[in-house]
Amino acid sequence: MSQKPSPRALGAIAASALMAALPIAASSDTDTPELKHTTVLSGLENPWGMAFLPDGAMLFTEKCRGLSVRLPDGDVNKLVGMSDTEDYATTADDLFCEGQAGMNGVAVDPDFEENRAVYVYSASKKSDPPTNRVIRLTLNEDMSQTSERTDIIEEIPYKEEASDHPFGGPGAHNGGRLRFSPDDGFLYVTTGDNHNSQLPQSGDTLGSKVLRIDRDGEAAPDNAEATPEGFDPRIFTYGHRNVQGIAFHPETGRPYITEHGPWHNDEVNALEAGANSGWDPRPNMAGREDCPDDYCGYQPNQGEGMEPEKRDNYMPMTDTDTYPEAMEPVWDNNNLSQGISSAAFLTDDKWGAWKGRLAVSFLGIGFGGTPTGQRIDLLELSDDGESVEDVTELPAPMGSSRFRALVVGPDGDLYTAVDEGSIYRITPE
Amino acid sequence: MKTQLLCAFAAVLITGTAQAQDGDASAGESLYAQSCAQCHGPEGKGMASFPSLEGRDAEYIKSRLTTYRDGEKVGPNSGLMIPNASKLSDSDIDNLAAYISSSFE
Ligand code: HEC
Repeated sequence: MSQKPSPRALGAIAASALMAALPIAASSDTDTPELKHTTVLSGLENPWGMAFLPDGAMLFTEKCRGLSVRLPDGDVNKLVGMSDTEDYATTADDLFCEGQAGMNGVAVDPDFEENRAVYVYSASKKSDPPTNRVIRLTLNEDMSQTSERTDIIEEIPYKEEASDHPFGGPGAHNGGRLRFSPDDGFLYVTTGDNHNSQLPQSGDTLGSKVLRIDRDGEAAPDNAEATPEGFDPRIFTYGHRNVQGIAFHPETGRPYITEHGPWHNDEVNALEAGANSGWDPRPNMAGREDCPDDYCGYQPNQGEGMEPEKRDNYMPMTDTDTYPEAMEPVWDNNNLSQGISSAAFLTDDKWGAWKGRLAVSFLGIGFGGTPTGQRIDLLELSDDGESVEDVTELPAPMGSSRFRALVVGPDGDLYTAVDEGSIYRITPE
Repeated sequence: MKTQLLCAFAAVLITGTAQAQDGDASAGESLYAQSCAQCHGPEGKGMASFPSLEGRDAEYIKSRLTTYRDGEKVGPNSGLMIPNASKLSDSDIDNLAAYISSSFE
């Protein structure tokens, strides 16, 4: 477990006990808001990501359909369709979906008002074999069309063949979230391991990484100084399994990611340039023998339930024996994997006692006796941001679903997309 | 009387039609909500890696569930479905098939 009370954490607990004694500083339970929800969009097909434009318009992706924008008045313009769609302003026939792959994350340039640039992450058949790409587009003034497609990253690995694993179909583990850091202005791209045990620790492929690039896809200059010799300079952190969420701490700017565990240990990690997240599912190392299709990620028992701690000993999400310097998670979901997906910080005052918390979402899995766990949790980070001091489940006013994406709107409300096909807005009052 | 019933039963087995082996759809509904909806969706539309169950007749559902219960693979993600079928009884399968085939069209 990651929540050993370190001396620092104990200090923080003592400090908060002191604070609680001061009446004004007390942020008690009575200060937590009531939540209501509105359905922003429904009838969508596997909505995957959202990003807001300065005027409140919302870009969103559907995994097998493409990119659309919901205008502030509620109208929807369909912008870029994938292969087999007909009702979009533009159709990009190379973009396809398969299994977990398809069109995933979307981001808006910090200088959107000047350059009108937006970005999507999608599987593409433009190269052979297919890859995942980060694509930049220019959105026109009336938000009805995009132009000037530029693929700023072309070679994020894609899983082409099925393998003998749970969720072993093609298209597995792409990561796929895109977000600009408000702090350093770079675009962060999260990727996944494709059930390929070679990717996480390799420095010359872009799978199992968090990438940090500029708007043209060029490496952020500080990456290479931090990563091991010979790494692709776009790599910011490595050794990840499947990162579907990233959010930036409102005060420190530090990136926090959610890393989907196999049959155990969903993780939240606080990133530092060059860090290794310690995932290495290769066979014939770290006490393991051969594994199905050369990937030990779900071993020692990939088909049935088993105590998570035993799994963690055999196939750790963070292997600190092999990699003593590996970054330890700030939170590990009590050793369970319930499909952690997205992350967003609640920054507006209207969240009351929950202001500053990191919201993390779960798809829910329910494999082998694990409680399904579909929910949104609100994590209170310690002052140093290295550990989690409290976890409160958000009382979701619309009930539970496969929560796929979280993003905070310009209104400070929390927006969530669910695989069932809706996007909800959650408003504290 | 007994023979008649047996004959009727045999006829059902032979024809194997959906109506003849009708399970209890309302029992199927609560089992579905409890054990299946989190993957296949509340209305069986399918999500992410989980297939849609829409438009399938009862026979199809039953034969799939029986195959999975026997631990046999069908598609690439059978490993996820097999543990969910392994605990089902024959009547659970009938009930689920009745519910799914009549509700998700
Ligand atoms: C952990 C997620 C999960 C749960 C829970 C689950 N399923 Fe499945 N189901 C799957 C997956 C994945 C497949 C596809 C498997 C494959 O590739 O062979 C599947 C396949 C099926 C199929 C075959 C679909 C087809 O088109 O051939 C049926 C029928 C089915 N499930 C019914 C059920 C029922 C009934 C339940 C509840 C008792 C259930 N499932 C619970 C994941 C799940």
